[in-house]
Amino acid sequence: MTADESTPAEFAPADESLHIREPPRVLVPVEVLEGESISESLAAFLAPANVVVLGYHVLPEQTPTEQASMQFEDRAQEAVEDLAETFRAAGREVETRVAFTHDRDQTVERVAEEVGATAVLLPNPVGDIHDVVVPIRGTVDADRLADLVGTLLAGGEGTVTLWGIEESGVDFDADDAVEYVRETLAERGLPADQIATETTESEYPIRSIVDRSGEFDVIVMGAGGESLFATLFGDETERVAEGAVAPVLVVRDREVEE
Amino acid sequence: MGTAGENGTNVAGETPEPVAPPTAADGETTVTEEGTELERSIGLKGGVAIGVGTMIGAGIFVFPGLAAGNAGPAAAGSFAIGAVIALLVALPASELATAMPKSGGGYYFISRALGALPGAVVGISIWLGLVFATAFYLVGFGNYAAALLLEAGVPVGNIPVVVPLALVFGVALTALNLFGTENAAKLQNYVVGLLLTILVLFLGYGGLDAVGVFGTASTPETFMPFGPMPMFTTAALVFTSYLGFAQVATVAGDIKNPGRNLPLAMVGSVVIVGILYVSTIFVATSAFGSDPLSRFGETAIVEVARAYFGDAGALAILVAGLLATVSSANASILSTSRAVFAVSKDALVPQYASRLNLKYGTPHVALAMAGGPVLVLVALGEVEVLAEVASFLHLVMYGLMCVALISMRRDEPEWYDPDFRVPAYWLVAGVGAVASFALIGFMQRASQIIGLAIMAAAAGWYKYYASDVQLKGVL
Repeated sequence: MTADESTPAEFAPADESLHIREPPRVLVPVEVLEGESISESLAAFLAPANVVVLGYHVLPEQTPTEQASMQFEDRAQEAVEDLAETFRAAGREVETRVAFTHDRDQTVERVAEEVGATAVLLPNPVGDIHDVVVPIRGTVDADRLADLVGTLLAGGEGTVTLWGIEESGVDFDADDAVEYVRETLAERGLPADQIATETTESEYPIRSIVDRSGEFDVIVMGAGGESLFATLFGDETERVAEGAVAPVLVVRDREVEE
Repeated sequence: MGTAGENGTNVAGETPEPVAPPTAADGETTVTEEGTELERSIGLKGGVAIGVGTMIGAGIFVFPGLAAGNAGPAAAGSFAIGAVIALLVALPASELATAMPKSGGGYYFISRALGALPGAVVGISIWLGLVFATAFYLVGFGNYAAALLLEAGVPVGNIPVVVPLALVFGVALTALNLFGTENAAKLQNYVVGLLLTILVLFLGYGGLDAVGVFGTASTPETFMPFGPMPMFTTAALVFTSYLGFAQVATVAGDIKNPGRNLPLAMVGSVVIVGILYVSTIFVATSAFGSDPLSRFGETAIVEVARAYFGDAGALAILVAGLLATVSSANASILSTSRAVFAVSKDALVPQYASRLNLKYGTPHVALAMAGGPVLVLVALGEVEVLAEVASFLHLVMYGLMCVALISMRRDEPEWYDPDFRVPAYWLVAGVGAVASFALIGFMQRASQIIGLAIMAAAAGWYKYYASDVQLKGVL
């Protein structure tokens, strides 16, 4: 198959011409009562995927979730409905969930598992979305990544930059990894002119990603494994999302089948 | 559940507000009627830390001197009696909590099993019972803070600093809870862990010494120098040291996998502190004999530590005492606010009481209803009365919880499906109820009168404010 075969049709979610193995499912957690929201452009960008909106509210430990739900439930439900409306305006039905919690990460992780999300969004403000960057720093789930990026970019003009980052002293062939992801994306049917590749070396990859985030509109990256460093300073993806000016889509590691 | 109005309204026209049926709970969430998920975020460790953290402040760091003065070495027996009664209640409480894993604890079980009047009496008196307990822990804190100042050589002269220190700290804790405490629960876990470590080291060494491993065994005193009776009256006094396990049930709505974690946390924390208490008294009375011990008063255990480890040991125990009384006081303030929420949700008191502060997300009205009266009681500074009234009001709830279990089991409603069932329930719950009520009989007359007055006032309030409200079997 060649890139030419997938002629961009009009706006079509889950493009038929793509060879998607696993239709991507994106979990969008939003802290609704804190006024967090999803811009129309981001909703439109995500709409081709199967979106689940999770409105959550984090409570201090001295407040029972039950007590908060009595007072804020209606407001939270409404806010989530409004968000769902933004997605419907972009042409896609979405699933919604509302949760009150003491621990954001626990709730997001649980819901992501329950709905079988392939990616989780860490929101950041964004304008028009055109350029996606995929920093690659280690083994990635190329299939999931390609399904997601392929679905989101199909039929549009957006480009994806596969950016391999080699860390000094770490045994990782960035060129190989980037090439593999590029092939997988091409297999899915994404036109070659929408894919760019590059590799660089960096001593502090997270900082490099944050520094360059202004050049792109959305960052897509793997979840990264558990490590002592991550436990102490927060997940790499969260640190990127905190520093970067673009939203981050975290591709979740596949659950181990038992 | 029923439609609004079916369960009656209070004077202000409010009805009990159903949030979620108990059947809608699984291991990690409760789902409300509108489909909102309420995340459960406290694990087994957190549950045990709440139980142990609430209890440990009193038994080791306030009571040894008082108890030894009243009962001699038999004070160890008093603590053991307390532990047995606490266990007899913890088992039925566990079963009820796994059947109804909701915030509110004992009040919730009793109102659902026995009806609104007993529910209201327990709900309102447990609020005040926790207020008394918090005041008691704060006075304990004041004693430790004063002793620490003394140790540090701060000249306080003859000025009584205990009560002012307790008051200042009471205000500080309430404010801390009002304005949000990031990671307070995790902090509590570490505090409890640190405490347990200090205590196990201290008791381990002291215990070995007492039986003669290092040097000569201490001469055993007469076990019951004042006869058996003081052992029981002292048990009534020191039962305040066991008031924490039911607090685990007040956060039942936030506990992960409640079917397993609730019973383990409740029974586990009673067993842990029971062992610590009994060995503390044993070590303390072996070190000094009960008479000198009683003269040291609230901070007697510090002198015991000094005898074994010198000034460094005394300092370590002083710091541990501060941590322990703070953790008990803080846990009790939080439980008080949850107790207020539980009754206000059911329209037994104005629902305004469970309002949350928008900015901080904290229950400011309920917290004020905890902190305010606490300060008044602290100002009185009567340790023994505070402790006994707190015990009185809790014991009434414990006894009724046992009765509630028997009533539930005799006529099991369809929804009643506990994950944990008490073996020989009528025996355990029956003895638990009788023992709880009997312990009240051994208290000082003053404490009994105050306790009864509070219960009568609670019943009067119910008759005036919410006599139409039905709660029996309302989920």
